[in-house]
Amino acid sequence: MTTLDGARVEVVRSYLLSAAEEMRATLIRTSFNPVIYEVHDFGLSIYDPDLRLVAEATGLTFFLGANDHSLAKGVEYVGRDNLHRGDVVLLNYPYWNAAHAYDATLFAPVFRPDPADADADGDLVGFLCVRAHWMDLGAKDPGYVLDSTDMHQEGLIFPGTKVVSRGEPVREIHELIRFNSRMPDAVLGDLHAQIAALRTGERRLLEIVEKFGRPTVDAAVDRIIADGEARARAALAALPQGSWTAEDWVDDDGITDDPVKMRVTVTIADGTFTVDFAGSAPATRGPINMPFGATEAICKVILKSLTSPDEPSNAGTVAPLEVRAEPGTLFHAVYPQPTFTLWTGIVAVELILKALAQGMPDRLPASSGGDVPGFMMVGLHPDTGQMFAVSNNDLVGWGGTPDHDGMDAATHVSGSTGRGTPIEVLEARTGMFFERVEIRTDSGGAGRFRGGCGLRRDIRFVSAGEFLSVIKKTKSAPWALDGGLSPEPNRVVVFPGTDREARVSTKRTPVEAGDRVTLLTAGGGGHGDPRRRDPESVRRDVAEGYVSATAAREVYGVDLDG
Amino acid sequence: MTRRPVRLAVDIGGTFVDAMELDTRTNRVRFRKASTTPARPADGVLAAITALGTDLSEVELFIHGTTLGLNAVLERRGGRTGIITNDGFRDVFLIGRGNVPNDHMYDFQYERPESLVQRRFTAGVRGRLDHRGRVVEELDPDSVRAAARALVVDQQVTSIAICFLHSFLDPSHEQEAARLIREEFPEVSLSLSTDIVREYREYERTSTTVLEAYIRPIFERYVDELEAGLAERGFTGRFLIMRSGGGSMTSAVAKTSPTHTVLSGPAGGIVGAAYLAAELGRDNLLTFDIGGTSLDACVIERGTPVAAYEAQLEHFPLLIPTYDIRTIGAGGGSIAWLDRGLLKVGPHSAGADPGPVCYGRGGTRPTVTDAAVVLGYVDPDRFLAGTMGLHDEAARDAVREQLAEPLGLSVEAAAAGVFDVLLARTVGAVRQITVERGHDPRQFSLLAFGGAGPLLAPLLAREMGIGEVIVPFAPSGFSAWGMLSADIVNDFSRTVMATLDDADLTELDQLFKAVEAEAVASLVAQGVPAGQAVLERQFELRYLGQEHSLMVTVGGTLDRDAVRTAFDELHRSRYGHTMGNPLQILNLRVRGIGRTDRPELGTRPRGDGDPAQALLAHRDAYDVGRRAVVPFAVYDRSALDAGDTFAGPALVDEGTSTTVVPSGQRVTVDDHGHLLVTLEDVA
Repeated sequence: MTTLDGARVEVVRSYLLSAAEEMRATLIRTSFNPVIYEVHDFGLSIYDPDLRLVAEATGLTFFLGANDHSLAKGVEYVGRDNLHRGDVVLLNYPYWNAAHAYDATLFAPVFRPDPADADADGDLVGFLCVRAHWMDLGAKDPGYVLDSTDMHQEGLIFPGTKVVSRGEPVREIHELIRFNSRMPDAVLGDLHAQIAALRTGERRLLEIVEKFGRPTVDAAVDRIIADGEARARAALAALPQGSWTAEDWVDDDGITDDPVKMRVTVTIADGTFTVDFAGSAPATRGPINMPFGATEAICKVILKSLTSPDEPSNAGTVAPLEVRAEPGTLFHAVYPQPTFTLWTGIVAVELILKALAQGMPDRLPASSGGDVPGFMMVGLHPDTGQMFAVSNNDLVGWGGTPDHDGMDAATHVSGSTGRGTPIEVLEARTGMFFERVEIRTDSGGAGRFRGGCGLRRDIRFVSAGEFLSVIKKTKSAPWALDGGLSPEPNRVVVFPGTDREARVSTKRTPVEAGDRVTLLTAGGGGHGDPRRRDPESVRRDVAEGYVSATAAREVYGVDLDG
Repeated sequence: MTRRPVRLAVDIGGTFVDAMELDTRTNRVRFRKASTTPARPADGVLAAITALGTDLSEVELFIHGTTLGLNAVLERRGGRTGIITNDGFRDVFLIGRGNVPNDHMYDFQYERPESLVQRRFTAGVRGRLDHRGRVVEELDPDSVRAAARALVVDQQVTSIAICFLHSFLDPSHEQEAARLIREEFPEVSLSLSTDIVREYREYERTSTTVLEAYIRPIFERYVDELEAGLAERGFTGRFLIMRSGGGSMTSAVAKTSPTHTVLSGPAGGIVGAAYLAAELGRDNLLTFDIGGTSLDACVIERGTPVAAYEAQLEHFPLLIPTYDIRTIGAGGGSIAWLDRGLLKVGPHSAGADPGPVCYGRGGTRPTVTDAAVVLGYVDPDRFLAGTMGLHDEAARDAVREQLAEPLGLSVEAAAAGVFDVLLARTVGAVRQITVERGHDPRQFSLLAFGGAGPLLAPLLAREMGIGEVIVPFAPSGFSAWGMLSADIVNDFSRTVMATLDDADLTELDQLFKAVEAEAVASLVAQGVPAGQAVLERQFELRYLGQEHSLMVTVGGTLDRDAVRTAFDELHRSRYGHTMGNPLQILNLRVRGIGRTDRPELGTRPRGDGDPAQALLAHRDAYDVGRRAVVPFAVYDRSALDAGDTFAGPALVDEGTSTTVVPSGQRVTVDDHGHLLVTLEDVA
């Protein structure tokens, strides 16, 4: 076995990460869909021949962890012997893909051709995987599915299907996609963008193997993974050891209005990080169930943030993780249970942190606004008559931390690199007109370090269509820590000030021109007793409009006239 | 009027002010460095000119590159800035796009950097356009006056950024608001988004406007001080300031649009590189500029540096034309350290103070420069032309104790490892900027400058299979030299948002003509004769539905098929495929150029090919070709003649920098004295 010094390993690591970043650049620059190019809703990863994660590019953290699961299932389904040089495989079967059917995972084996036998596949060097959200694959409703009751209402399913075979596009599959999508141009454009990203990665990976030789690359990968694992276990050992349980609720399953129970027990012991969802609700009738791989993916994000937040993941950094959820429950959906609305996973990120915070309130922030307040409009564009489905993930306050205030109006922690869609883009591409997008005074949970503030967004529709609110935590407030206070929960109000006014959570609402919707996104929870907040900070917050004079007096005990 | 024969370029960097003088009578170039004076930067500029001994009354053209605006932002020293926007949208700038920077993706306790604008300095006014530029609500003058009073009287702001939703489609609300504010508060500095950038996306446009409003007051003061200082010393020529996207502008224009200067630091080098590319007949050139703390690389493609239309300053977006420069936070001062037995280089830097261990100013952690000392690349006696003693033993001890022993390597192997790790990261960055654009880096020449550029460039070329490295004379002053060849340039754009098929070409042609008239007027105001203005038209295009766009240069006559073909070809070369979708015209852009006479390249006397006259000594140094310490021939660059050629291992010393030539590479001196380092076939 080749042994390498610490300089050589870093050199190979740089080359591998650079290959992943080149894949990312290719995807962003060629994609057709704002969820990819604006929101950066994608994940790209590189694997070794044993399907171990070697390198990843910056992306949605959630997606990155899910790729590991999908690739393993996809390779198992297709069969290693059936994978050939130049193949690209599409997988979106939710229970294998660790996501809903619109998150399309493409993966490709990378073979190094044998110069002596040009027809053979050659030496398997590794795998590449790229996941991105597609606009439409023919589910029961356009845009987003909020109330499916089985998988078959959620879009066309590919269990691991070649879209490129030995370098040749499989035309029949491309056409099948075209005829099954309401937005075929965007979807096929994104398919090509993902293939282009894989091709970039393939070229680079082969160059790396050519340059360093297979034994050196293998030895470096072993060392990178071993180092990631040692680092993660050491960081775990330095955390408080113990076992903590938390409960929270998802608003509803999209079919009935009943809150759905989540329960988690997190244990840190013996260098292992165990997340057990026992006690959570059985799988629901509506589409809020999590494929198990998606459940694993959110746990990976938490483990990463606790142990090595400042460097990319690899198979080692997540090795200490063990996730348990009984098949057929909320966190482990099985066929044909519906899974489209993945928002349970977002709310569960905060649930896991809530459990952990009991053991380490001096290390963790309080809850953020608790959810990603998503919204979307679907309709025919008033200028062009073309169909559109454009979404935005709205911003929430982040939780107060042990030593500073939470951020005001930021992307939720579960996918924090995602970007809000510009108002000018939303207005140009949809029938929405915005009357206000502003930080809400007093919306952050009070505390010695206060939660960040949420937003108020007032929408007036200028054309008819459907408004989709996608949010699963409006009924219970984000939690605070260490004597801080909880903020008001998220609120979505349709038709405010009319006799049709109603509070909704996840809902598809038909709208006409002139109708209005108001979104009030939640602030973060407070950290520490607000009476212990530095009075100067309270005065500044009042001057800046983050906190009202009344709250300063009544909650913080700071009288501004004094 | 008598013709003044001298041109002078002064470039302020992080630690040094570089001054370069060109006497057009003799075509002689002289170069001096002076220390920067952060408290009063104009003093450092004047001191550098004094050190150089230039008679300012003889100077026709003074060209200046400054990072003053950049530093004002980084150090939060700008003016007290307010924002006036639409009612209900005062938080656009504070919120941004909500995202956390990519390198913090797992950090649940991320904090935004301190904002440039306090929330109480923001105000909304009544009045609104829609996405087609139609007035939904007329601008309410009373609300504008009330907002201005709140900001100026109550909050004492001295500079206001005005940016309204969809204003890029119709600037009249912004202009009317500015008029109303000026009536009441003529002393307040106003920056209108539509004067700076006519492009969509409200946060990015607002951020650009805020950055301008923020740096304008101190930039104005600085230029005024410098103008006065120059005038006192007899200067009556033209005063130009470098732009981030290439070319220059008069100091008067710079005072009203200082944003265009903020990323001008590396621009001089790239302008110079483009000029060299043309003179030397190298179409494809990669620039490789390494200073103390960072490494900048840029692609010159068919003679033209690659442009970008969106940059970032800290995390603030800036919609101005810049060069597409890839920066790595690693330079001569970057610290090498071990993280659980793995060798890392940077991102921390020893900076100028305390600096590398070998400076002997109290630095204790080994840096890239210390590794270079250990490897024998830096002559302890000739370092910085002998002006600064070099503590080579201390450097060696630091590398041994902190890197070599824990790694179980020899001290040379550890130092070579520092170079390997730095190079691997560099290879990644250079690959990304070439491969992203559909090029093979092996088809490029590499132009090395900055103090440490020639130290690393031949190694990088070897690593990447790049056939040729060009080392210009006085590489550490190359950016200042490049400024001497800068044209006067201005850029204008308009968002169009129409498909190529549906667009009315006659209307577009008229729009181009209107924008071109603006460009010519601006050039004329900067002293360019109208007849000499060169105009370039470009479309920023994408397939309908795509977000990211490509720039296509279009001729004087607009032709749909030609535009389509050019775009498809570019898209294929960049991304490997084309689409059948209609093309959407996002923006049209006009660049107006007033050409400057370029300095002629100097010539070297022709020698006999044998560099023996320049051989100083032999010195042991580390050869990456053989991965061993071997004797290197050391040459004095100033004694090399044109046509001299020699093989590595060799070192070429010129006081302020050293070119390292490993075995397997060969140096040839061209007629202008450039070192051309080529790869030899290794048997």
